[in-house]
Amino acid sequence: MRQSLDLVCMTLKVKVPMAGRLCFYPIMAGNFWQSSHNQQWILDKQDLVRERQHDLAILTEEEYQKIFIFFASVIQTLGEQLKSRQQVIATATVYFKRFYAINSLKCIDPLLLAPTCIFLASKVEEFGVISNTRLISTCQTVIKNKFGYAYNQEFPYRTNHILECEFYLLENLDCCLIVYQPYRPLLQLVQDIGHEEQLLTLSWRIINDSLRTDVCLLYPPYQIAIGCLQIACVILQKDNKLWFAELNVDMEKIQEIARYIINLLDLWKSYDEKKEIQGLLGKMPKPKPAPQR
Amino acid sequence: MENKLKRYEKIAFLGEGQFATVFKARDVETENIVAVKKIKLGSRVEAQDGINRTALREIKLLQELHHENLIGLLDVFGHMSNVSLVFDFMDTDLEVVIKDNTIILTTANIKSYTLQTLKGLEYLHLNWILHRDLKPNNLLVNDKGVLKIGDFGLAKMFGSPNRVNTHQVVTRWYRAPELLFGAKQYGTCIDIWAVGCILAELLLRVPLFPGESDLDQLTKIFDVFGNPTEENWPGIKTLSDFIDFKPLPAIPLKSIFTAAGDDLLELISSMLVLNPMARKTCRECLKMPFFSNKPAPTIGSKLPLPQNIRKVADIERQSLKRKLLDAAEGGSLSKRLFI
Repeated sequence: MRQSLDLVCMTLKVKVPMAGRLCFYPIMAGNFWQSSHNQQWILDKQDLVRERQHDLAILTEEEYQKIFIFFASVIQTLGEQLKSRQQVIATATVYFKRFYAINSLKCIDPLLLAPTCIFLASKVEEFGVISNTRLISTCQTVIKNKFGYAYNQEFPYRTNHILECEFYLLENLDCCLIVYQPYRPLLQLVQDIGHEEQLLTLSWRIINDSLRTDVCLLYPPYQIAIGCLQIACVILQKDNKLWFAELNVDMEKIQEIARYIINLLDLWKSYDEKKEIQGLLGKMPKPKPAPQR
Repeated sequence: MENKLKRYEKIAFLGEGQFATVFKARDVETENIVAVKKIKLGSRVEAQDGINRTALREIKLLQELHHENLIGLLDVFGHMSNVSLVFDFMDTDLEVVIKDNTIILTTANIKSYTLQTLKGLEYLHLNWILHRDLKPNNLLVNDKGVLKIGDFGLAKMFGSPNRVNTHQVVTRWYRAPELLFGAKQYGTCIDIWAVGCILAELLLRVPLFPGESDLDQLTKIFDVFGNPTEENWPGIKTLSDFIDFKPLPAIPLKSIFTAAGDDLLELISSMLVLNPMARKTCRECLKMPFFSNKPAPTIGSKLPLPQNIRKVADIERQSLKRKLLDAAEGGSLSKRLFI
């Protein structure tokens, strides 16, 4: 049923400039094993199923995923427009996914949460405060020019909404702000394999794509890095079986990660976001209109 | 959110800093005494920036750090730009202890405070975090004699060689010479210098280098250690704010710390080294003879505390004992205590 990987590789979509690659902030330098990421935020598949019950009564699993693919792109585009580094974008995306891993979509409009995640992540990763005026105006332009196919209306939120949402986000994250990403372990792995530019570029992009799946909620970053690297090796037809065999990791987990990503690539082949997303956003559970303050 | 505002009952005002006001409060859920640090609302422009960055830095780091000798972050609450952080309550700090003339600091006491500071700092450095603002005022002590490093508003992850840092960190008196010379790339050694200054202050009961300006600070340091040269500090002339001082001789530490034993002098002179590369690390300091030699560090409960704290602690302990006795006898307080 599943098509061969070299066909699906054509669907790898996200292009991120590689120049910023080597200068990301060394948040990985801390100790992952004792981190809040490892101890509190590696969730169980069952947790996700349970917490999403409400939303999945209204949306199918595939529709639910499509909505998250869409908002991952919104975060990515906003981040790029704001000239944030990939590290900030990735952290923001993980915040976004963690929030909805324990909340229903009707809790907060994802269109408000997405820029709020960028706003918070930029401060946490010490890339400076994005001025709220700039954030709002970027949201307005991006929604109008890049996501006009999804929204007929203007970006409706203002500074106050972002500030209120920021605190709510912080609380829901249980103040766990440091997120470990697969990029640094990937650099080490590729270096070990024998540094190959092409392999690194491709795996890097697959990690970016993996943010459109649940893997960042379910697996530690080093495993995600290995999973993405493995897919890249298959696509580039590099035989590194021996090297993988020598890694002391749970290969079953790696296969699970790879499966998530291949499913995503499969989904992309037959999915026209421009046509479907407006209908999906219409169907999505929504917050009750906020009381007037 | 509303619940949390009610959860912490203000008991007393504790202090006010540049960024925050601190209150002593009772956590009505656990009956624990806590410190609530309310971040000041900045200007209207700053309020637009959302949760204060200094507060965020403390939250993100303390959420990842758990050590007996580091302050524990218990909770965070607030609304929009208005943030409060809830910490372990600490009765006093080393600045108060040092300034209290009624307290006698023996070698064993000083050993205990230094040991606890270095243990907390070693854990921080192992986690690739620089504190960047160590001073007696940030070394908090509770009535059990446990010392915890506090105030992580300036703390920062380190390790990236291409990242430029600001040298305007650390309160001047505890600032390492490389920072005063404008170094933008620095490491754990700046915290070690600060601990050296604090240790000296525990002995002298006054700051070792109370500089009145950055230049005066360097002068005071070189008055003791002599001025640095390319020989004892290779590369010093490349620092952006380097200036040449007239040659000064070093004076023996023994003449400053007349009461200190050789093992203690050896520790001080391993921390207070002009060349940052030659300063010992926390781990190396902890292995020095001073800590294994006699006398043993004073145990927490025997450490001297300012009188008012000792008294309050005793009264509280007694009253708790009385309450428990009352309760055992079926007193009226039993319901409240044992629900």
